[in-house]
Amino acid sequence: MSLALEGITKRFGDFTAVDSVTLEARDGEFVVLLGPSGCGKSTLLRVAAGLEHADAGRVRIGGRDVTEMEPRDRDIAMVFQSYALYPHMSVAGNIAYPLRIRKRPAGEIAAEVRRTASTLGLADLLERRPRELSGGQRQRVALARAIIRRPKAFLMDEPLSNLDARLRVEMRFELRRLHHELKTVTLYVTHDQAEAMTLADRIAVIHNGRLVQFDTPANIYHRPANLFVAGFLGSPSMNFMEDGKVTLGVRPEDIEVSFDQRPGWRSGRVWVCEDLGNETLVRIAVGADQVTARMPGGVGAAFDAPVWFRFDEAKVHRFDQATGEKKR
Amino acid sequence: MKTALRYALAALAVAAAIAPIWWLVTISLKREIDHFASPPVWIAFQPTLDHYREAFFLRPFGAYLWHSALVAAGSTILALVLGVPAAYALARFRWPGQFRDKVGFWILSQRMLPPIVTCVPLLLMLRQLRLLDSLAALAVVYTAFNLPFVIWMMRGFFEEIPAEIEEAAMLDGESRLGALMRVVLPIASPGLAATAVFCLIVAWNEFLFALMLSQTQHGTTLPVGIASSVTQYEIKWGAMSAAGVVAMAPVFLFAAVVQKYLVRGLSLGAVKG
Amino acid sequence: MTARLARQGLWLAPAVALLAALSIYPMLYLLRVSFTALDGGFTLDHFARLFQDRFFAAAAMNTAIYTVVALGLELVLGLALAVLVDSLGRGRAFFRTALLAPMLLPPVVVAVIWRLVYNPQFGVLNGTLRSMGVDTSALVWASGQSTALLSVILVDVWEWTPFMFLLLTAGLQALPAEPLEAARVDGATAWRVFRDIKLPLLKSTIFLAVLLRAMDLMRVFDQIFLITGGGPGIATETMSLYIYRTAFRFFNFGYAAAMSLAGLALAVFFARGLLRLITARAR
Repeated sequence: MSLALEGITKRFGDFTAVDSVTLEARDGEFVVLLGPSGCGKSTLLRVAAGLEHADAGRVRIGGRDVTEMEPRDRDIAMVFQSYALYPHMSVAGNIAYPLRIRKRPAGEIAAEVRRTASTLGLADLLERRPRELSGGQRQRVALARAIIRRPKAFLMDEPLSNLDARLRVEMRFELRRLHHELKTVTLYVTHDQAEAMTLADRIAVIHNGRLVQFDTPANIYHRPANLFVAGFLGSPSMNFMEDGKVTLGVRPEDIEVSFDQRPGWRSGRVWVCEDLGNETLVRIAVGADQVTARMPGGVGAAFDAPVWFRFDEAKVHRFDQATGEKKR
Repeated sequence: MKTALRYALAALAVAAAIAPIWWLVTISLKREIDHFASPPVWIAFQPTLDHYREAFFLRPFGAYLWHSALVAAGSTILALVLGVPAAYALARFRWPGQFRDKVGFWILSQRMLPPIVTCVPLLLMLRQLRLLDSLAALAVVYTAFNLPFVIWMMRGFFEEIPAEIEEAAMLDGESRLGALMRVVLPIASPGLAATAVFCLIVAWNEFLFALMLSQTQHGTTLPVGIASSVTQYEIKWGAMSAAGVVAMAPVFLFAAVVQKYLVRGLSLGAVKG
Repeated sequence: MTARLARQGLWLAPAVALLAALSIYPMLYLLRVSFTALDGGFTLDHFARLFQDRFFAAAAMNTAIYTVVALGLELVLGLALAVLVDSLGRGRAFFRTALLAPMLLPPVVVAVIWRLVYNPQFGVLNGTLRSMGVDTSALVWASGQSTALLSVILVDVWEWTPFMFLLLTAGLQALPAEPLEAARVDGATAWRVFRDIKLPLLKSTIFLAVLLRAMDLMRVFDQIFLITGGGPGIATETMSLYIYRTAFRFFNFGYAAAMSLAGLALAVFFARGLLRLITARAR
C-alpha cells in the first residue's frame, strides 16, 4: 500500500503554502516531511488526510485516487501534535472509538482495545480520563487509537514536539520499533532533523512549500542538493564560507583541530569552547567569520587561545553563491 | 446536508427573526389606510413621515428618549465603576474559606429575584425619600440590576488573564489599582465592551420599574411612554410604531458596534471549559 | 491579616452595599408585610391562604408550563441554529448578527410588534393566512382562552431563542478543534461527530444556558403584561402577574408579599438544584 502525492498545490488567499509537490511513499516505508516552521509540511499532511482540499493535484492511497474522498473514507489514521484525545471519554473509550464507529461487536472491540493497550503499555490506564494522564501517556493513547484499526497509512503531525527532551528520545525508539512491527506506510511531519535522521527510510525536505530533496537520510546528509538542505541537517550545522563565486560548506566533524602550530593549516582563535562530555565543540574565530568544529570530549581551551585547523577536502561541499545549488 | 439546503434554512431563520421587526417599521412608515390592508403589504407602499412627526412633536416621545438615554448611560457607568473592582477583587485576591464562592453565589442570586418582588418595597422606600419620579433614582435601581451581571462576567474575564502580567507591573512599581486600570483593563476591553453593551441594553429596555417609579412625564422613559399608549382605547398604531422604531434603533447601533466582541465576550466570560 | 482583608474588602464594599440596600431592605420589608394583616396586626393568614387559593395554583401552573415549554423550544431551536450557522462557511458573521435582533428589542416594542401580528382582524398573521385562503375565524391567538398561553410562549421563543443561540455558539467556538478533526479521520460522519463529541463537550454550556434562561422565565412579566395583561381571564396569568394584580389592583400588599416569598423560595430551590447538577456534571 503506497501513498502518493502528485502535483499538490494549496493556497490560502494570496499565500501559496504548498507549491506543486510530488512524492510517493512506498509500501511499508517511513517517510519524513522535514522543514522549518511554516514551510508547508503540515498543510501537505492535512491534504493527504483530507482535512484540507488541494487546489491542484491528486492523492493516491494504494493506487486508488482518494483526492475527492472525505477523511473517514480514506482508511488512514492520524496522530496530532496535541494528541487530540476526546476529553470526555476514558482511555479505553478513546482507543475504541474508531471501532465503535464501524459498528464492530462490543466483545471484539473490548478484546482489541486490551490488546492494543498492552502493546503500548497502557493496560493499567484504561479507565482514566485524558486530563489525568502525563504527556507521554497521552501520546501513547493517541498512537493506540491510530493503530487499532490497522489502517492503510499513518499520518503523524509532529507527535513528539510537545514532549520534553528525554521523553522525546524514548518515544523515538518506541516509534521505530512500532513501525518495524506494523510495517504500515507512514508520513511523518517534523521540524526536528534528529527525528528525521533516526526515523526515516527517506526524508522529503520541504522549503517554502516546495520539495527540495527526497532521499535516504544518509544521502541527504552526505550529498545535500543545495545550501538550505546542507544547513538544515546536522547539529551543529554545517559551516559556510564565501570563496569567490562559490560558497564552501564543511561539517564540524570534518574539521581537524590542533592547538599546536601546524604549518599550512588555517589559523584562528578560540571564541568559545563547549565540553559536552562525549565530545567538545570548539567555535573558532577566523577574521570576521566563525567556524564550529568537533573534537573528542575532555578538551579544554582558554578563550582567545590560538588554534590551527584544516578541512577534510573530500568532504567539502561547494554551492553556487547565487542559486545555492550544489556544484560539481 | 447539502450546503444550499443549510443556507436556505439559515435564511429562513433570519426571515422569521426579522420579518416581525420589519413589519413594525412598515407600519411606522405607512399611511393609516394602508396599515390593515388585505392582503398585507410588505414592500410596495407609499411612505409617510406623519407618524414620526406625531410621535416626537405632538407627543413628548423626544423627551422620553432623552430620559432613557440619561438613565441607561448613567446606570451603565455606575455599574462598571462599582462592579469592575468588585469582580477584580473576587478574581485575584485571596479570601478565607468559602467566602469567594458564597459571595459569588449571593451576588448571582440577586438575579433570581422577580422584579415584582422588589418593586413594592422599593416603591415605598423611594416615596419616603421623596425620590419618586426621579431619573437618578431609577438609574441607581438599574445599577443594582446590572451589578450581578457585571461582576459575574468581568470576574470570568479577569480569571482568564494570567496574573503574572499584573505582578510584572507591580514589580515595576504600579499599585494594585494602577495595575488594574493600566494593564488588565486594556487586555479585558473586549469583555468590558460586551458587558457595557449588555448593561446599556438592559437599562434601555427596562419596563416595570420605570413604570412603577414614574409619576409624571418628567420621570418617564421611552418604554413606559410607549406602553401608556398601548393601554389606551384608541391605539395610535402609527405613532406607537414610530416610537418603537426609534426605541430599538440605538440598541441595534450599540450591538452592531460591538458585535465582534459579543460572541467572543460571552465565550470567555460565561463558558468555562 | 485583618488589615489586608479590610483593604481587599474595600474593593467589594460599594457594590455589595448597593446590592444589599436594594435587596436586603425589600426582603425585610416583604417579610414584615407578609405577616401583617390588613388591619395591621400579626397574622399567618396570608401564607395559609396560599394553599387554598386556586388562582395561585393556576398561576403557578401557568408559570410552570410557560417555563418548561419555552425553555424546551428555545433550547432545541437555539442548539439547532447554533450548529447550523457554525457549519456554514461564509457569511457566518452575518447570520449571527441578524439572528440576534429579536432579543435586543425592548419588551415594549416586542409587545407592540406581536399585538400587531396577532390581532385577529387586522393583524398581519391572519391577514397573510387569509390571503392564502385560510379561514381565520377561529384563530384568535392571544385573545383566545385556549390559545393565549401558547401564543405568548411563542413570543418568548421568538424573542429569546437568539439568547440560547448566542450562548451555544460561544460554547461551540470554545470547543477544541483537533479532537473534532481526529473524529473525522477516525471515521465519524458529521452527525456522529456532533452526537459523540460535540454534544457531550457542550454539556456544561447547555446547563448554564438552561439555568440562566430558566431563572428569567420564572420571573417573566413585561411581555405578557403588555400583550394580554394576564388574560383572557387568567389564561396567561403567571405568578408575577398574579402578584401584580394582588398588589396593585386589590392593594393587598400582605398577600402579595407572602406570594412573592413563596415564589422566590420555589425559584431558589429550583435554581440550586440545577446549579448542583451543573457543577456535578462538569467535573
